[in-house]
Amino acid sequence: MRIPDEERALAEAARGGNQDAFAGLVRLHQRRAYLVARAIVTVHEDAEDAVQDGFVRAWQSIDRFDPSQSFGAWINRIVANAALDITRRRKVRSTEELSDALRSPFRDPALDAELNTRLREALSKLPDRARSVIVLHDIEGFTHVEIGEMLGIPGGTARSDLHHARQKLREMLKDLRG
Amino acid sequence: MTDELRFPANGDRDSLDESLVSLVREAYAPPGGDAYWSGLESRIMSRVTGQSSLDAGWWNVLAPWARPALIAAAAIFALAGVIDQKLIESEEQVSYDSLVQSVTPEVLTTTQELSSVERGADGATLSYFLSH
Repeated sequence: MRIPDEERALAEAARGGNQDAFAGLVRLHQRRAYLVARAIVTVHEDAEDAVQDGFVRAWQSIDRFDPSQSFGAWINRIVANAALDITRRRKVRSTEELSDALRSPFRDPALDAELNTRLREALSKLPDRARSVIVLHDIEGFTHVEIGEMLGIPGGTARSDLHHARQKLREMLKDLRG
Repeated sequence: MTDELRFPANGDRDSLDESLVSLVREAYAPPGGDAYWSGLESRIMSRVTGQSSLDAGWWNVLAPWARPALIAAAAIFALAGVIDQKLIESEEQVSYDSLVQSVTPEVLTTTQELSSVERGADGATLSYFLSH
């Protein structure tokens, strides 16, 4: 994987304790990190917490980062871990609460209300990991291997989870499609 | 990463159709607007800066005490060494004394010596010389 020169320079400077350089890395990677976190925790506020926790953890252990590797992949794994920590702390959550949480405050209001409601319900009924895998792969475009590294599962398990999650989602939404 | 495409391809028979992907993408859409991301970056960096000053803070508080603490530690170490040496010497003395006392025979009085000698083979001769 070729690492952009800008990212490499920022990472090396950040390793030397340069906070401005680290801010540059935050600017480059925070959106992607947010999407990773959001796929795991579902709730916007939790995703934001996970991103903040993840970047703070990254700064604390920046001396252990290998600049020849991708900072993006490294920070995504850290943020995913922070997000998984949050889900473990908030394990008990009713389907209804989860469904509400999926109502993004940033969605397009013109979208059909019934479609959105049904989709939120369907997603909320998927197991946590299956939902994370389907969002990370089908929406964010991560590979099975990358997802496996982020969620701490083998790539083959991520692939299998994805297959079952898609089947289940299709089943739940079949009357809305076509 | 090369064995998979980043987005579902036509060859991926299992993939969700585009309309469903669009719906899910919409549900998970990140916040829009640069203001939000600038704000998030500021919050992250304020925590990073706070962390750094916190890390430096505890050392700054303790730093003036470093020299006296080192001197005190050295003094305690030296004192402990002296006490330890004294204890070793004392133990050696006790064990020497106990060894010596258990082996050395009790001092015999002159009378006892004489009486034991008198009971010996040459007792009569010796008694004769002493009495004259």
